[in-house]
Amino acid sequence: MTDATMPAIACQNLWQVFGPGAEKALTDALSRSGNDADKAASDLRENGFIPAVQDANFEVKEGELFVIMGLSGSGKSTLIRCISQLLPGTGGEIRVDGANVIGASKKALTELRRKKLGMVFQHFGLFPHMTVAENVAYPLRVQGVSKKERLARAQEVISLVGLEGREDSFPRQLSGGQRQRVGIARSLAVNPDIWFLDEPFSALDPLIRRQLQDEFLRIQATLKKSIVFITHDIQEALKLADRIAIMRDGKIVQIGTPTDIVLRPVDDYVREFSKDVAKGQHAKVASVMRSEAECGPDDPGLTTSMTLDAALAHCMELYEPVPVRDASGNVVGTVHPSDLASALQVDEA
Amino acid sequence: MTAVTDLPTQHSAHLTAGAKAALITVIVGAVCLAFEGIAPWLAKWPAAWELPATQWVGAFLDWFLNLIKPAMRLFSDMMTYPMNWANFVLGNTPWPILIGIVTALGWYLGGMPMAALGFLGLSFVLASGYWAESMNTLALVAVSVPVALILGGGIGILANEVPKVKTFVQAVLDVMQTVPTFAYLTPLLLLFGFGPVVGLIASAIYAAPPMARNVMLGLERVEPEIKEAAIMSGGTRFQQLFQVEIPAATTQIMVGVNQCLMAALSMVIIAAVIGGFNDIGWEVLLTMRKAQFGESLMAGLVIVVFAVVIDRMSGTLATERKRYDSRVVWAMLGFAIIFTAAFWAWLPNPSELTLLDPMAEAVDSGLTAFTQNNGPWLDALKNNSLFYVLLPLRIGLDQAVLPFTWGFQWTAGMSYGLFTVGAVITLLMAWRGRLTGGLIVLILIGMLETGIANLPWPFVLTGAAALGWVAGGWRLAALCVGLLCTILVSGLWERALLSLYLSGAAVFSCAVVGGLIGLASAVWEPVWKVVRPICDMLQTIPLFVFLIPVLMVFQIGEFSAFLAICAYAIVPMIRYTRHGLVNTPEEMMEAAVSSGATEWQIMRDVRAPYAAPTILLGLNQTILYAFAMLVIAALIGTTGLGQSIYLALGQADVGLGISAGAAMAILALIADRIVQGFAEERRAALGL
Repeated sequence: MTDATMPAIACQNLWQVFGPGAEKALTDALSRSGNDADKAASDLRENGFIPAVQDANFEVKEGELFVIMGLSGSGKSTLIRCISQLLPGTGGEIRVDGANVIGASKKALTELRRKKLGMVFQHFGLFPHMTVAENVAYPLRVQGVSKKERLARAQEVISLVGLEGREDSFPRQLSGGQRQRVGIARSLAVNPDIWFLDEPFSALDPLIRRQLQDEFLRIQATLKKSIVFITHDIQEALKLADRIAIMRDGKIVQIGTPTDIVLRPVDDYVREFSKDVAKGQHAKVASVMRSEAECGPDDPGLTTSMTLDAALAHCMELYEPVPVRDASGNVVGTVHPSDLASALQVDEA
Repeated sequence: MTAVTDLPTQHSAHLTAGAKAALITVIVGAVCLAFEGIAPWLAKWPAAWELPATQWVGAFLDWFLNLIKPAMRLFSDMMTYPMNWANFVLGNTPWPILIGIVTALGWYLGGMPMAALGFLGLSFVLASGYWAESMNTLALVAVSVPVALILGGGIGILANEVPKVKTFVQAVLDVMQTVPTFAYLTPLLLLFGFGPVVGLIASAIYAAPPMARNVMLGLERVEPEIKEAAIMSGGTRFQQLFQVEIPAATTQIMVGVNQCLMAALSMVIIAAVIGGFNDIGWEVLLTMRKAQFGESLMAGLVIVVFAVVIDRMSGTLATERKRYDSRVVWAMLGFAIIFTAAFWAWLPNPSELTLLDPMAEAVDSGLTAFTQNNGPWLDALKNNSLFYVLLPLRIGLDQAVLPFTWGFQWTAGMSYGLFTVGAVITLLMAWRGRLTGGLIVLILIGMLETGIANLPWPFVLTGAAALGWVAGGWRLAALCVGLLCTILVSGLWERALLSLYLSGAAVFSCAVVGGLIGLASAVWEPVWKVVRPICDMLQTIPLFVFLIPVLMVFQIGEFSAFLAICAYAIVPMIRYTRHGLVNTPEEMMEAAVSSGATEWQIMRDVRAPYAAPTILLGLNQTILYAFAMLVIAALIGTTGLGQSIYLALGQADVGLGISAGAAMAILALIADRIVQGFAEERRAALGL
């Protein structure tokens, strides 16, 4: 039903403004500023409104893991709630599988949520009066799926997240990590195409967090969902993301691959984030590769997907450009060792 | 952007808000005192200026009540079915089976302790010989509670679903909880005529607000993420509400059920004053009127037993429950049935049981002996409190000091002398930089000289406005003045001042004594161990029962009423004071200790200021409790609005009943808002 190029989610000029009569205020502010988003936003602020999301534009491709990162109060939670329509959205468009969800009927939204969307919450949002199995089966229960059927499906997802044996426990009897596994299982119960995760691992301690990140990647590798993932942790964003959007004061300031964010920050704000990131562990050789064919006599065996750290370890004694190969072994470009070294320099912002 | 407005106040004025307000009040008071000779209307609102508001309210209500009467009568006819049914069931079930059911229920809810409580409680009721009367009361509760639960739950859910009506509903609930219980009864009497249905409906109306409040609070407090998870699961609003939000709010809603039960019981017993139903409240009233205090106390104890059993059992619903073996439940029920079947022929009729009569008689004779032996001492206590404290407060030193009691006659010169002393104290305190405090001393001295019941109305209005202004700004001040003016023009002013005097005296005593007990409980755990069960008990006892012991010892009169009010209203003061003091954050205490503060310094400089907002809330509760009890205390002799409400009930005068009830509610509301305002200000100052 969808052609291959159509994005799973597309946001265009999306605004979420808080305050009484926000919709009209936004239209007025935009017409006053001649559709200049920054001016309109400061105009709204002066009039006592809160533009929590300003003019967001991005697409999430099918099967893509799209991370939205920002500090608290940057509007990332508001943005994901707009997309999932927990907040109405004040202006702009959100297309989910091609259909605009802003202004969609209650019934259409309920239908969408029953079939296509799943969401995981920072503080789990588990129903305290239901067992693990009942929690996980709840999205099926509201659709009227028979008890036997929905418990069978719940069992499947519970095994997927590794919680077998805890089906009859209540949330209060579980640890934080286990609770979030329940949250993940519940969000997957209807096998949604689109998966929202709102800071799913932030409330967990570091060891559990890493463990769940790895499992999340494992699950995603088999399920291939289109994902919007919110975090305030740059390490987490770089580890998980296909692409990252960085938000600040309601604005998306940069969208790019992890390498882009680390190596080519658009401004000091983004640079500040990547400052304490060991760039060599995240940026790939491809990001500093040149297409010129000239190269020196040495071939240390670099590939495009090698991290800069690994590549540099191979070229410690070399001063001439070296060839770079792709996954199938064909030479696709060259890299000068000095480029590798300079890319790793931490910017003094 | 909001402009920064809270710049430090300009020093050109040299006066804090409190000092300004106090100064204006002093000036107005002084003017009133100075000119009351020339312009008597300053001291006393002239009758010619009064509007016949009471009659208007009466006429309107008569018209309105007649309008809805057919529908209401229909409703009451409908209610007689479940009521007769409940009466029949409770009245005809053999008592061993009922005891068995309650014991089994106790086991199911709370295991052994609750089962024992249920068994012993009902056994006591049985032994007292008030079984039949108790079952009548219980039948009323059993019918009114479901009505109240549905009504309250419905209102709570409606307010939650329609945000627009929420503020309105909250305001109505506030008013309903401040309007005194007796005031409900008069219009209901007109609507439904004498009979148990009035008690039933009054208690349903009275018990619905706590349910509504707790439902609203519970639904509001469900974690936002749980609500969002329900939405994202694709539930319809109906599914979200009934499958997720209400179950998740169960604990809070069960608190509502508990409060609803207690309120219904309390009101059913109060409604006994209407009579026409042979229930336990009526029994208390009857024996009280016949001065059979032994029986009266026994009937009162039966009520207390019911209150305790219902409260503790339903209280377990609001805590996390353990599962108890259900086989025990069946065993208990089975035993009760077998017991009944086997011994049916020999079982005594519960109404003929007189096991506790000797006790009642002993109490009666013991009491007589006690009052005879301690007569002089008790009379001295009562008379001294009346003549040297309550009376001067009420009518002022200038009228209360008589040769007959004080041994000398108050003269104008003494008034001047007193005011001069006050002025000197004020100047001294102002010189030490405590102008506000000095002015307040002067105001208090003035009030003592004049008497609360004789305060000039401009002074009261100014004083209320000044307090309102300091506590909550212009809006609150305007609200206070506006509401007080309605009392002023309605001709209920003098009665309102009398009510103000008695509740004021009670609140003041409660604040001092309760505060001290709270303090003692906070610093010394053993005290709390003793005080806590007493507080629990006092809060469980229905209002009505407080009258019995004071009446036994001090007979009818203002002093008894005063004591009854104090006994009921002191509890929140104790609880909140202790709670505030005990809950000082550990870190703050540690910081104080490591700064080298002594125990006393920590109390004065750290714990007391931190507890201030909580203590103020306790005071607020104490005020509301005092007003609630004031009306009940009218049964044993108070003047003022309470008495008017009670009289109106006897004469079926809706206009007076509702107007006096509204005036009472207004006083309570103003006191509530002002104290809340101060508490809010303190909390804000502490950044809480």
